[in-house]
Amino acid sequence: MAPSLVEAINQVTVVSDTTKPKFQRNEAFVLQEKGQFHYADRPVPKLPSTKHVLIRVLATGLCGSDVHYWQHGQIGQFVVRQPLILGHESAGEVVDIGSSVTTVRRGERVALEPGVPCQTCDYCRGGRYNLCALMQFAATPPHDGTLSTYYTLPEDFCFVLPPHISIEEGALVEPLSIAVHSARLAGITTGQSILVFGAGPIGLLCCAVARALGASTVLSVDIEQSRLAFARTYAATATYRMEDKSPEENAASIMTTSQLSEGADVVIDATGAESCISCGVHALRRGGTFVQTGLGTSNIVFPVGQICSKEGVYKGSFRYGPGDYKMAIELLNLKKVGVKELITHAYEFSRAEEAFEGVSRRQGIKSIIYGPGVQNALITSSE
Amino acid sequence: MAKTDSNLSFILNKPHDVAFEERPKPKLESPYDVLIAINYTGICGSDVHYWEEGRIGSFILKDPMVLGHESAGTIVEVGSAVKSVKVGDRIALEPGTPCRRCTPCLAGHYNLCPDMRFAASPPIDGTLAGYYVSPEDFCYKLPDHVSLQEGALIEPLAVAVHITKQAEITPGQSVVVMGAGPVGLLCCAVAKAFGASTVVSVDIQPSRLEFAASYAATHTFTPERVPAGENAARLLKETGLEGGADAVIDASGAEPSIQTSIHVVRRGGVYVQGGMGKPDITFPIMELCIKEVTAKGSFRYGSGDYKLAVELVASGKVNVKKLISETVRFEEAEQAFKDVKAGKGIKMLIAGPNEK
Repeated sequence: MAPSLVEAINQVTVVSDTTKPKFQRNEAFVLQEKGQFHYADRPVPKLPSTKHVLIRVLATGLCGSDVHYWQHGQIGQFVVRQPLILGHESAGEVVDIGSSVTTVRRGERVALEPGVPCQTCDYCRGGRYNLCALMQFAATPPHDGTLSTYYTLPEDFCFVLPPHISIEEGALVEPLSIAVHSARLAGITTGQSILVFGAGPIGLLCCAVARALGASTVLSVDIEQSRLAFARTYAATATYRMEDKSPEENAASIMTTSQLSEGADVVIDATGAESCISCGVHALRRGGTFVQTGLGTSNIVFPVGQICSKEGVYKGSFRYGPGDYKMAIELLNLKKVGVKELITHAYEFSRAEEAFEGVSRRQGIKSIIYGPGVQNALITSSE
Repeated sequence: MAKTDSNLSFILNKPHDVAFEERPKPKLESPYDVLIAINYTGICGSDVHYWEEGRIGSFILKDPMVLGHESAGTIVEVGSAVKSVKVGDRIALEPGTPCRRCTPCLAGHYNLCPDMRFAASPPIDGTLAGYYVSPEDFCYKLPDHVSLQEGALIEPLAVAVHITKQAEITPGQSVVVMGAGPVGLLCCAVAKAFGASTVVSVDIQPSRLEFAASYAATHTFTPERVPAGENAARLLKETGLEGGADAVIDASGAEPSIQTSIHVVRRGGVYVQGGMGKPDITFPIMELCIKEVTAKGSFRYGSGDYKLAVELVASGKVNVKKLISETVRFEEAEQAFKDVKAGKGIKMLIAGPNEK
């Protein structure tokens, strides 16, 4: 990471004037069905309702799913059949508001919660809108994502950033909310011991949220020593490097070296990898909770006998729901969680494809792409 | 020989090597203990498994051990501090004594006590004998109108109560139960008693499903040898459960059933693993994740389960009598094990050695 990037993050200059609703062209970075990128102009979106806002997208983080659609053209049943704008981890500035909007104002910087549910089905009305069958999620085909100049969202899916949080950090609110959602499902409270498998961005953020919620032991597990070294400086109280032995043997090692002889209260898996999940189940204490955050292959060999006999609670975690973005923002506001350290690469919009290539090579931790027309004289991406 | 005071015991020496032995009558070990004359004992799959394999997981038979743990009996002696039962009371026996001091015990999860002493889990002797000693709080008085034979079904019913509580069933919900053996059938019955409107019993044996339909299931389903997703889709279609079942209970331990369970449960639903089969199976984890399913293990029973089980039988909400296929004499115990292994009937009871 370039030494000047941290300073650069605090000095983003937005080139165009956004105080009046007179709009620039809406430039988009588009993925074609066959996996090629190109830039295109799109109409400036109209506000779909009086409760919607129009946002100038200023920074977008890249996620494994964005890269996966680029390289494979599908994730499960979601297939790229027509040109698709990717990106969903964004922050921006509100440039126009519908006539019924009361909770945000023009000019405010907001983090975007990029999935709009139907709000009428049983899941939505029952408080689990992340499970809405009609969810329109940015960058999940066929819904366009946020790698464009403008994006619209209902006001209740925009969250005002605290003044001391930069726009780049604002783009990390989305993955932070995933971590918050998982941590809440896990029921993490003061004094507990947490094992987090995977020291990529989501795993690291899970460690940070666990610490913020009062966990005493937060053990980060990974196969890469460099990731673990970072985790130790960031939010983990201890680390463990997975060894080339069985999951049960790794679990036994974890339990002895970390003095978790009864097992961990909570295990969060942010890898989706079979060996990690199996190890985690073996290292879970009786009656403990395991949250499955990472997605990997569809089917794995799973120690169901362990879950049965130790009465483990094993919960799937999918995106985020009511209250997660709010808590994420508050954790940043109170400085209980920091995300600046995770931003290792930043690119101008014209170099978006380089960003995708870099992420596909697992460079750094989190890469940001600035919105069209957003410039920073001091940007460098360390290569 | 007078049978009335015998402590004849049915002992497993090693797999398929059983013997009847007159053991010394057990003594009370604490003022809170009671001595129980065992009247009836049911046979469970785990008893059969020890008889066949000599082990379950890390529990390995090293020395001869009395089998059996699903019992009802009569109090014949009480310790000096016993208040909750008296001599002559007929009771259902909860056959596991925890340490009461460890973290799980103090937190109300005594079924997870690492030092649990459980009848017929090596090395602790079981209840297929004339007498058994237990702390008073693990004895549950049977109302007069509940027979001792029904009392022997309280143990598997408590297992079903514990599983069904884990499934968080509330009135009006839909439940699918994989496996129509005794525990599966009892889960259907408890789910119904808890207010479930749709209770689907799933099994590969037609005779078991026929019984389930007459017992507590509102629907039955026979899976085919197709991928789990396909079985699930057909099940949901045939039972009218579009969107999936609120809760799915696996009482089979079978890999295809567990896989199907995850496809059957609705988004945000609960899946409970009650049955024990292969410790490691191929599991549809992506499906579980995307649907935010909560999967919970269920192990034996804990606080309040036995009490509720007795209440369900006493109030007529659950009929356990129907599950009793046959009661045999104590001397026929080995044949009973063979019959259970062969899949005869639903629940076989073995009368205590002192029963006339």
